[in-house]
Amino acid sequence: MHGKDLLGQLIQDLCCLPGVGPKSAQRMAYYLLQRNRQGARQLANTLLSASQTIGYCEQCQTLSEQKLCRICSDTSRDQAVICIVESPGDVWAVDQAGAFKGIYFVLHGHLSPLDGIGPDELGLDKLTQKLIAGTVDELILATNSTVEGEATAHLIAELARKYKVHASRIAHGVPMGGELEYIDSGTLAHAFNGRKEI
Amino acid sequence: METSVYLQPGYILQHRPYRESSLIIEVLTRDFGKISILAKGVRKPKSKVAALLRPFTLLSLSYLGRSELRTLTQVELVQTSPPLPGLALYCGFYINELTGHFLHKYDPHPEVFQLYQACLVQLSENSAIEPVLRNFELNLLDNVGYGLSLAFDEQHRRPVSTAKKYIFSADSGPVEALNGTVAGQTLLALHTRTLIGSETLAGAKKLMREVIDFHLQGKPLKSRAVIAKIAASLQSKDTPREVVGTDDLA
Repeated sequence: MHGKDLLGQLIQDLCCLPGVGPKSAQRMAYYLLQRNRQGARQLANTLLSASQTIGYCEQCQTLSEQKLCRICSDTSRDQAVICIVESPGDVWAVDQAGAFKGIYFVLHGHLSPLDGIGPDELGLDKLTQKLIAGTVDELILATNSTVEGEATAHLIAELARKYKVHASRIAHGVPMGGELEYIDSGTLAHAFNGRKEI
Repeated sequence: METSVYLQPGYILQHRPYRESSLIIEVLTRDFGKISILAKGVRKPKSKVAALLRPFTLLSLSYLGRSELRTLTQVELVQTSPPLPGLALYCGFYINELTGHFLHKYDPHPEVFQLYQACLVQLSENSAIEPVLRNFELNLLDNVGYGLSLAFDEQHRRPVSTAKKYIFSADSGPVEALNGTVAGQTLLALHTRTLIGSETLAGAKKLMREVIDFHLQGKPLKSRAVIAKIAASLQSKDTPREVVGTDDLA
């Protein structure tokens, strides 16, 4: 369709985005070049500077341009409660929910023995250092509700027990507004096992 | 070759993301052996199937297709299996990797399916993990054609004796030797699947490791390395190994 000219190259490069195939990439390229060159220039500049300056927070490993991210440097937050999540996207999701006022720790993945991903790849040594330092009161394990997520949560819970730090796992079960009839049996079984007194 | 299969019992051994919203799962089925199935669209936010496609649970799968990669059409939960507790969960991954390595695709092994199922039940019952793993390894090898001769010394033409030492090789079995590294007792315990005592268990672990490595021909078992690392990270200097008990595979 497009050869090895600059336009073809642009379309091909846009395909690196998730959810963007050749067709939508082509649409984006044409739009930027025909209707919004200013926007294209700005996008290019922002992308360039973002890819150069955004790194990882020293404390929680989430994406941040500063050495300490916005959440870790916020003094009004409880620095003694750490919520463990799998990805920076999860930080955003938990923060949006507004129920948590502590700080985070991002693993950038989960324990996956079959892919050779173990404690070292998840930066657990960094977490261990924090636990040893004794500044942590509670770990909240908000890893995904997959088997790998459970395995990760279990491993970190063991670590917490070793250093005598309280660890808890987020609950999972029936979603808000969910009707039991339409909920899959796995989730429902889990909800029953994790029921609590009222 | 059948084009569509309905309600086949199976366990997921491994899964990996495919494209934007799909998943490729490797399944151990009862009647068709190990197969790969493409589960389309299950990683979308509204997917109801995602919660079901978990390893270590017995599923009932319907799929179709002639190509090497079948397409999942329906999946149901047969029964909620009891969750694997702690360490047994990591060992579950090891069992999955081992099964995946030793079975060829589309090679039916109903006995291995039974073994796998029994092994998961035993692991979830929180009994001693090591004998369960060793028995599974032995039975798996037996079923895929790598069965070990454990109780008879072919070279000297006599049964293995508990009091003697042996050198063991995966293809020719035990040979009596004064400088042998394997105790006769360990061999007989493996043979009768009755592993008791820490010394026997340690010997059996070492032996099975060598045998498995021999058959894998240099392919690494990733889960074994990860479990060793997990064990190391949980180990503290003042806790004796048996207390933490994570040394099972390492």
